[in-house]
Amino acid sequence: MSEDFYAYVRGRSDALPAGYTEHGMRAYRHLVFIGASQMVEAHFPAIRQELGEDGWRALIAAFIRQSAWDSPCYGDLIDEFRSFIARESA
Amino acid sequence: MTGLGYRREMADWDMSAIDADFFEVAPENWIHRDLTPLHRLIESGRPVHLHGVALNLGGTAPLNRVFLQAVRHLIDDLGASCYSDHLAASGDAHQLYDLFPTPFTHAEARRIADRVCEAQDLLGRQIAIENTTWYTNIGEMPECEFIAHILSWADCQLLLDINNLAVNHKNHHTACPAEFIKHLDLARISYLHVAGHEFDPRFGLYLDTHSQPVESSTRLLAQQLRAQHGIPILLEWDNDLPDPSTLNRELACLKTSTPM
Repeated sequence: MSEDFYAYVRGRSDALPAGYTEHGMRAYRHLVFIGASQMVEAHFPAIRQELGEDGWRALIAAFIRQSAWDSPCYGDLIDEFRSFIARESA
Repeated sequence: MTGLGYRREMADWDMSAIDADFFEVAPENWIHRDLTPLHRLIESGRPVHLHGVALNLGGTAPLNRVFLQAVRHLIDDLGASCYSDHLAASGDAHQLYDLFPTPFTHAEARRIADRVCEAQDLLGRQIAIENTTWYTNIGEMPECEFIAHILSWADCQLLLDINNLAVNHKNHHTACPAEFIKHLDLARISYLHVAGHEFDPRFGLYLDTHSQPVESSTRLLAQQLRAQHGIPILLEWDNDLPDPSTLNRELACLKTSTPM
């Protein structure tokens, strides 16, 4: 699997990886966004209200763009989010 | 035999009223957790199978040995007879908590078969791999051939997801589920997954949402396989979980012994 594939999924690049369809790649980017958005919102519902929809989308997109998550457990994404916020606020 | 994917939302339900013969959980959600709800199910005479999401069999990062050790303990704690994960990548060198396609090539089939073998060696048992939904992919061979190679080379089982076959057929006009399974060694199938899916106009694709009743063609094929080969069926319903009576109705529909 090409690096281009995951660069697109993370939103680091809009260049389609060779041979893959735009619809399919957008679906993968969307699914990763939904996964992160749902887990963060479940723990920090107030952030979405405070930021509004555009701010929320930008925050989650930035979280995914810089991601290097390692835990096999989806719930550990919250620890990653806390570290991300701490890094961003430093 | 008809099973149901067990969700945490069911913790408050009276599970004795749920008409399932067995259950399935994601090990990632239960490692180092209180297993009491699962032991209750097992004590009611209904086994719990493990169906993982993060083993990353299709990825390039080394298999996570600490995680596999924890899975091994969970298998032992629950006396689980089945452990499966997806024929997909969970990310590149890192996790992205989704399932990504691996190119349908000979080189990838060989590489993934080797990873399945490594996982089986570390666990000391045979595992099953599940065919997945894919929204775009590249490669030189049809998916059925790709899967058949891996099953044979890794000597592993297949958790056959008929809904995923149906979604891929609708999205890519590849072989329909009934045609697809003609290329598989049915003796390798551990059990079947059925679920529902939805069309998403934003992408012009059917997405594997597990949020709808099972389509009749998927149910009929699953019932045929059970009737002819004794392969159990498990219903997955992960999003927009309905009330217990709706789930029981869906299970009853799957249980009818003669395909309707």
